[in-house]
Amino acid sequence: MKNVRIWFKKVGAARYISHLDLTHCMARALKLSGLPVWYTQGFNPRIYMTFAMPLSLGTSGLRECMDIRFTEDGAPLEGVAEKINAHLPKDVVVWGVTEPANKLDAIAFARYGIRLETEGSALLKDKIQGLFARGPVTVMKHGKKGDKEFDITPYFSGMGMEELGAGCLALTVRLPCSVSGGVNPGLLLEALKSYEGLEPCGEITREMLLLEDFSEIS
Amino acid sequence: MDLQDKKTSELSCDLHDNSDKNERKLALSHKILMSVEKPGRYVGGEVNAVMKDPSKVEVRFAFCFPDVYEIGMSHLGIKILYGAFNQVPYFWCERVFAPWVDMERQMVEHNIPLYALESGDPVGEFDFIGFTLQYELSYTNVLRMLELAGIPLRAADRKDLHNIVVGGGPCACNPEPLADFFDIFFLGDGEEVDLEVMELYRQCKKEEKGKEEFLRMAAQIEGVYVPALYDVAYNPDGTVRSYTPREGAPAVVKKRVVLDMDSAYYPEAFPVPMIEVVHSRIAEEVLRGCIRGCRFCQAGFLYRPFREKSIDVIDAQCRALCASTGYDEISLSSLSTSDYSRLNELIDRLHQWTEKDKVSLSLPSLRVDGFSPELMERIHSVRKSGLTFAPEAGSQRMRDVINKNVTEEELLHTVDVAFTEGWTRIKLYFMIGLPTETKEDVLAILELGKKVVDAFYGNKEKPKGKAVEVALSAAAFVPKPFTPFQWFGQDTMEVLREKQRELTGNVRSRRISVSYHGAKTSFLEAVFARGDRRLCAVMEKAVEMGLHFDGWDDQFDFDKWMEAFEACGIDPAFYANRTRGLDEVFPWDHLDYGVTKEFLKAEYERAYKGLTTPNCREKCANCGALCYKGGLCVEKREDMV
Repeated sequence: MKNVRIWFKKVGAARYISHLDLTHCMARALKLSGLPVWYTQGFNPRIYMTFAMPLSLGTSGLRECMDIRFTEDGAPLEGVAEKINAHLPKDVVVWGVTEPANKLDAIAFARYGIRLETEGSALLKDKIQGLFARGPVTVMKHGKKGDKEFDITPYFSGMGMEELGAGCLALTVRLPCSVSGGVNPGLLLEALKSYEGLEPCGEITREMLLLEDFSEIS
Repeated sequence: MDLQDKKTSELSCDLHDNSDKNERKLALSHKILMSVEKPGRYVGGEVNAVMKDPSKVEVRFAFCFPDVYEIGMSHLGIKILYGAFNQVPYFWCERVFAPWVDMERQMVEHNIPLYALESGDPVGEFDFIGFTLQYELSYTNVLRMLELAGIPLRAADRKDLHNIVVGGGPCACNPEPLADFFDIFFLGDGEEVDLEVMELYRQCKKEEKGKEEFLRMAAQIEGVYVPALYDVAYNPDGTVRSYTPREGAPAVVKKRVVLDMDSAYYPEAFPVPMIEVVHSRIAEEVLRGCIRGCRFCQAGFLYRPFREKSIDVIDAQCRALCASTGYDEISLSSLSTSDYSRLNELIDRLHQWTEKDKVSLSLPSLRVDGFSPELMERIHSVRKSGLTFAPEAGSQRMRDVINKNVTEEELLHTVDVAFTEGWTRIKLYFMIGLPTETKEDVLAILELGKKVVDAFYGNKEKPKGKAVEVALSAAAFVPKPFTPFQWFGQDTMEVLREKQRELTGNVRSRRISVSYHGAKTSFLEAVFARGDRRLCAVMEKAVEMGLHFDGWDDQFDFDKWMEAFEACGIDPAFYANRTRGLDEVFPWDHLDYGVTKEFLKAEYERAYKGLTTPNCREKCANCGALCYKGGLCVEKREDMV
């Protein structure tokens, strides 16, 4: 048995499928790949797959990963990506296959890119800077134990901002993201709506999954 | 650690590589997609979706399914025809589904025209706009989709040889309530006739012919009905007097039949939805038609003659589909799969590889008398969640009237087998409002349910520690064209409600639950099933009033529908509740599905006498389908020689 880490991106049309749907896509592609994937040994055997961290519906992921197992220790990793890609939707692409170095539950943060766009040339950058300059920015955080008020300032105030043109802004932010929970980058959009009355088109991309020391998981 | 140091295979993922050069453009913005339920319905991009270069195709066909993605993507017909059309290099067939109400609102608000999933191009740019007509209550969606596409609803308002609106499927057997909106209806099996018409269009286009000439020529192809070429006259009492063909159109349009199922086109691949749909599995059609002749069942008459695929062909098609889709379940589909003549042998053959490949088999349409322990042993992978059978009527008298040819003894034997095999939940489908039905017949549904419960407690090998659950479901009967009950006036909604009350008010066991389905939707279904061209005005009015998704309880608005009828001065009861005279001319009499009106009449009379008719395998009933000279009709003849 050999543990194998599959690196993939989920972009374009595939952004709009849920995590559960993604697992089904992967299972079908792995089945068709002809690779020596290991099946769970229960009453209904299924391909063993563990995803690092589910992506929210609508969020792109560029350096996502999942673990599978090969039944043969010596199974080569060369050519594995191509074999899986041949059966995946075009917007889910495996771009790397490695032997895992870190455990998946060591993921503590993620780096997100948020691309904001508004019609007209609303001064997005000023508004966002103004928003966090004013003090606590509380939004409702939807959690397992119900909704609660949550101040997003500590998480978003230091984010990187780059103006891409009139009304278009690229933000980069590192947020907690782990098995025990995290901060959803979409909360920024909620804050912009409730505090500034702004509803820009916000495209969120998870760019990287990070360990406690901010290095990328490998 | 430097990201670039990571040992990955030769592929790499550039962080800023968010816009692939060949990335398919989505028709809708991110913001709109994020504002609706299940955005995955609207983005395409599935495995096996067919992409072509629009500059290299000559005829573009928008295959429209007038319901949401999850339902349309589970439909077999669209998979077959999508594959058949796209096999031709110069045709490109794309899929279009009805946007759910939230997306419809967005599209209207933002002025986004209905588009095809593959290319994202507006439907208004297509040569053909084809609808599959599966259900009368999807008609408003058909018109709504044309409207969203920005295409004039009425065929007469579309003058050019472009945007040819065509329709097929079971409801095309009486397409009159849609006649003003469609250019062409395809009758019968579409695998060949659709392609012939597309080819004709291509030629007409090249020769710069007009739409009228194209339609005149198309009407000469067997299986093509061009409604505009028929003048309808009505009697003073509102019934049809005559249909008169014009410009050389045939007086009677014959349906097309693909006789040899083995050589008929069947796809080796179909788009695999990325989101969960109603049936996330492979559908392998094992046979077409039905031997049974249940008198309420339209499909049983429309799809005659009964034709089977050979085991070799089914096996090869299943292997190909497993290899192209990655699905782990194959459904052996048909109107009645337990009537496949060598079912056990077929399943044994498939098991030679399916078990190894971790693929399970399922039989979606089991008859009460087709359920054997032997079969169960072969389909052991079927989940034991619940079993569904359709005795259709509670009393034996009633089952004889509808020619169900299932006895109570058979049903009780079957559930006994099921209990022994470990099932504890049984669902039974019935109809109420059947011809000659009495209160006793309705109450017999409950008695039958009680007997099933008793059978459970009388079974010594029943699962231990589990209680039996029997769900009785009663739908209101809708008389349909091309069935022996096409003359029958549907029970009024009041009568149906009274029967529903009889059912729900007399349940004596906690192990039995009763559910029924809307009298109002069934009434509307009955109106359009046997309607005529005068209903086109009502359809148009209904769409104007914003009606759509009538098959969805949360969208169905009966009162508005009644307003639409009233506004048009049309009495819906004339179509639904009126019992027709045996000599009445029907709006579908000029359409020929092989089964003769004389045969249907004889069956109607036998029904009222409580006489059953043997199935096609037992004895030919001379229904008329022999005219196609194929399938079981011919096999029987050979046996008899």
